[in-house]
Amino acid sequence: MKESLLEILCCPLDKHDLELEDAEYATDDDGDETDEIVAGVLVCSECGERYPIEDGIPNLLPPDMREETPA
Amino acid sequence: MGLEDRRGVDTDVYQPAEDSRLLAQAACDRLAGADDETRDSEPRGDEPRDGDTGPLVLEVGTGSGYVAGRIDAETNARVIAADLNPHAVRQAQERGLEAVRADLVAPFADGAFDAVAFNPPYLPTDPENEWDDWMERALSGGEDGRAVIDPFLATVGRVLAPDGVVYLLVSSLTGVDEVVEEAGEHGFSAVAIADDSFPFETLTVLELVR
Repeated sequence: MKESLLEILCCPLDKHDLELEDAEYATDDDGDETDEIVAGVLVCSECGERYPIEDGIPNLLPPDMREETPA
Repeated sequence: MGLEDRRGVDTDVYQPAEDSRLLAQAACDRLAGADDETRDSEPRGDEPRDGDTGPLVLEVGTGSGYVAGRIDAETNARVIAADLNPHAVRQAQERGLEAVRADLVAPFADGAFDAVAFNPPYLPTDPENEWDDWMERALSGGEDGRAVIDPFLATVGRVLAPDGVVYLLVSSLTGVDEVVEEAGEHGFSAVAIADDSFPFETLTVLELVR
């Protein structure tokens, strides 16, 4: 995800802002960091709920839906 | 291609069909037109959006990312592609789209979007016959066909900018009048901006504004 996406996202439970933790950024051909986040955690500034960023995709499902995987 | 690989393509993610094409075309036409009219009047937003100067658009239930991809390619909008299905968000990302795994509009900021597009699961389904996999989730709208549309209509207003619009695909199988009425309950007025008839259903794209 692009770092600027953070401004558009919020906690799905209480709609408060999310803070980025443990961010890993993709690197360009010169080895410099880009604004593309490949891994990390989004943490709600209010309730503290944690949402993972996996393979560059933030998983913002509420915790009770996160494990749900139809067969 | 082995069975395991095929599964991801054929049975886990809804692939573009007539409904997807109708919604993509209608949304692209409207967004391109709206852009010409309002472009220079009011620059909005406090921060630059990565060089994207056009509207910010969300596609809910993006599936393969087809509709979001068309909007991305054919307008100057910045497009966010969201889906509940992990296979779908991966396909959308592989198309080069900004993908988010989300339940409808739940994790998006208040007033963030100039437009939200949605081709919802709309087939009325007998609960006895539900087959409980990702394709069912992509197709089934519950007994009345509106099990996903109604919660969408109840929540989408929060994430729309003051002049924001919704492009919603509705089938005659679901009942266009019922959807228009439900949208009205949440403060939207609806205009049909595109339709197409097939042997078993008529598809309509509604534009919802407040």
